[in-house]
Amino acid sequence: MSGNPRKWWKANKGRMQQKHVPSHTPLEKNIARNEEILRTLYTNCSDVVFRSFLIFGTTPALIIYIDGLANIEEMDARVLAPLMQGRGNTEWRTEDFLQKVIPISKWQEICSLEECVESIASGYPVLLIDQQEKAISIGLAKWEKRNVEEPVAEGVVRGPREGFTESITVNTSLLRRLIKTPALKMERREIGGYTKTCIIVTYIEGLVEPSLVTEVNSRLSRIEIDGILESGYIEELIEDQPSSPFPQILSTERPDVVCGNLLEGRIAILVDGTPFVLIAPTTLFSLLQSSEDYYQRSLASTAIRWLRYFFTAMSFVLPSLYVALITYHHEMVPTSLLISMASSREAVPFPALVEAMIMEVTFEALREAGVRLPKQVGAAVNIVGALVIGQAAVQAGLVSAPMVIVVAITGIASFMIPHYIAGISIRLLRFPMMLLAGTLGLLGIMLGVIMAVVHLCSLRSLGVPYLSPVGPLRVQELKDTLVRAPWWMMDTRPKLLGEANPHRQAPGMKPGPSNGGDAT
Amino acid sequence: MLEKGKISASQMGMMLFLAVVASGVMSIPGITGKYAHNDLWLSPIWAALMGTVTVWIAHRLHCMYPEKTSVQYSEEVVGKVAGKAIGFLFIFFYLHLSGFVVRSYAEFIVQNFLHKTPISVVIITMIFVCTWAVRAGIEVIGRTAQLFFPVFLIPVLFIPLLLNNMKLDYLFPMLEHGLVPSIKGALVPGGWLSEMFLLSFLLPYVRNQEKGKSSALYAVIGVTLLLTMINFFILFVLGKQIGDFLFPVMVAFRYISVAEFFENMESLVMAIWILGMFVKISIFYYVTVLGASQWFRMSDYRSLVLPIGFFVGLFSFWSFPNFNTGLYFDIYAFPFYGPLIQTVLPLFLLIIAALRKKGQSQNQNLTAAKHK
Repeated sequence: MSGNPRKWWKANKGRMQQKHVPSHTPLEKNIARNEEILRTLYTNCSDVVFRSFLIFGTTPALIIYIDGLANIEEMDARVLAPLMQGRGNTEWRTEDFLQKVIPISKWQEICSLEECVESIASGYPVLLIDQQEKAISIGLAKWEKRNVEEPVAEGVVRGPREGFTESITVNTSLLRRLIKTPALKMERREIGGYTKTCIIVTYIEGLVEPSLVTEVNSRLSRIEIDGILESGYIEELIEDQPSSPFPQILSTERPDVVCGNLLEGRIAILVDGTPFVLIAPTTLFSLLQSSEDYYQRSLASTAIRWLRYFFTAMSFVLPSLYVALITYHHEMVPTSLLISMASSREAVPFPALVEAMIMEVTFEALREAGVRLPKQVGAAVNIVGALVIGQAAVQAGLVSAPMVIVVAITGIASFMIPHYIAGISIRLLRFPMMLLAGTLGLLGIMLGVIMAVVHLCSLRSLGVPYLSPVGPLRVQELKDTLVRAPWWMMDTRPKLLGEANPHRQAPGMKPGPSNGGDAT
Repeated sequence: MLEKGKISASQMGMMLFLAVVASGVMSIPGITGKYAHNDLWLSPIWAALMGTVTVWIAHRLHCMYPEKTSVQYSEEVVGKVAGKAIGFLFIFFYLHLSGFVVRSYAEFIVQNFLHKTPISVVIITMIFVCTWAVRAGIEVIGRTAQLFFPVFLIPVLFIPLLLNNMKLDYLFPMLEHGLVPSIKGALVPGGWLSEMFLLSFLLPYVRNQEKGKSSALYAVIGVTLLLTMINFFILFVLGKQIGDFLFPVMVAFRYISVAEFFENMESLVMAIWILGMFVKISIFYYVTVLGASQWFRMSDYRSLVLPIGFFVGLFSFWSFPNFNTGLYFDIYAFPFYGPLIQTVLPLFLLIIAALRKKGQSQNQNLTAAKHK
């Protein structure tokens, strides 16, 4: 395998794209011949079951399904029983069957071998009948799936407790239950040469900018990959600026978050096999918003948002600010505080930068260990972490107590970001910031901040500026960014790319005793 | 077009505001105070005239040649050779000024805060960060300016903390020696306000053209208001000794001490000031790069960003040997050099262009009459 990988790919494309099944091979009339082809295809597949029987005791037929994916009880009762036990004349067509004999609502006629394989793989048993050119795919699939549970990564106090599951049909049904209009569109496609993963692009027609849907679809159709196991694959393959540390596509496991975004004219991408749904376009501020903001009282939500913004900034600069103050700008610290800090730093053998680096790296290690370890061991890690990096390190004189406080506040601050993934990128950036602070002090921090801001200003998510509505400024939309305006003030939708249906609700809905209530 | 990005008129206003005021707010009050003494609050108002005239000229020229920057239309106004020469003059002027601004920024940082840091480190890091922004284009610079604009004004909120130290008596006697000292003091801020000519490079990329002129004028008003306010503030705090300080604003902020906690705000003020200087340097740097690539008739300006960044670095070392010489340039040369290139030269361009247009329309009228 040498030379240009692109050329190699073009020449060997077929290998990846599962060409075992010849495309559009029509089924033959002779059932024995069909069976032979399918059996060769499924050689060494012990989970595929072939069941031959006679319809009305005369016509040979064959039913094929995958053990564990098909609903065997129902199939026995509704399909096999009436066909084997029933009586009828020999002159019949497949359609008559479906209308008179098999009491099943979901079925499909199949003409080619390819469709046959697809239907079997999706869990739908296939019924082949002798002397018929069409087979029937029976909609009796059933596989093990998790129940709808409360999402683990995005908890709320007030708000729905449903979370997406790994099954895409369950996920779409959760969305459809919240948004009942037929304008909610779900475009289905398959990606992945081997996995054939089902991807559903969903949006609300009339609210979404049509060019956005075209853009998403064209980016999705560019993907040629052997398998999609999680929506993270898709995210990395369609984002605007792949080298940026910031996630440009939001992922969530909450149906209410997806619906809220759909109503704002965004697009959601559901991927089979994962509870994480992608939402695009995304801005930095939507990463810092929780669904609960919209369910609580607006004043509380506004206060919490500001708290979140402040601590997000803290998780970015606090350790570096501490390093800069300790190393270069003593004069900025009030004298009494400076004295107590100096005395606690007296025994510490490292410069502030090294001390901060050690502690921050240890903190990251503890966090990662806590996520990955089995629950029984996790408790041990917590205790060891609290003792070692908290108490013992200070007593041993390896780090100073203020440093432990700074690291702790930074850690808490980074967990305040409602979307865990976004928290990681901001936490990563604080390491270069600490280096800058250690070398150039406050000047270094400002240069780092400027570079981050310039980068954020140049980022786009599907063409929408990442920092909107603040840069570029859209005063109308600050009502859902700087504050969380009460619902009766949220008259307009955010303007993403175009202005498809800008009005969300009737204006002037402010409630009050003389407005809607019993006016007396 | 070379630059595909677009900015809004308000973004342009904020860019111009920061481009003028970022360096001005530190060095102008001291120089003004030297000449105008306790009338220094009047000087920015005289200087605003210079800014208004420059904005008017740049906007008239823009209306005659929309979608073109001054480097491009000077060729059309005075012919190819002379136009190229004028274009080169503009580019060289802004290249030199970028280097000059970077150097004064670095001198300020090294003198006041990082005493032991080599000045080349301060210069190179700043140019590197600006290269980052200039490569990203005008859209990103505009958005950054918009974000930093409110932050830059935060130190104004600290002024009430100094009410204790302010003495309104310093204002009197008003106009003791007539208007002349305040007009003398206006020369330096006037030179700074002539930098409003940057408008001629930004206007072609403004989305809502009709608001371009008014937001530039708002920028002039904003600069004047801020400088006047700062002048009042340092006058009330420092009194007649303003002229003795190089950076009286920094000195005044050092007086802040509230509850033994809000003390020594000058580091914070410096940190915020760096944001403004970043915008200022990026705009000058960007204008140089854009002008140069238009002068060479290139299809993309990005390949010029690094070489010109290198030159900006060199010019920052070449512009002056030490801080005092730089100050002499600020006081004695720039009040005449700046307006000469940015106001007088464009005025000549405007007059020639207007005469030409008039001649053309007369010719057309004549030919039209003949055909009749």
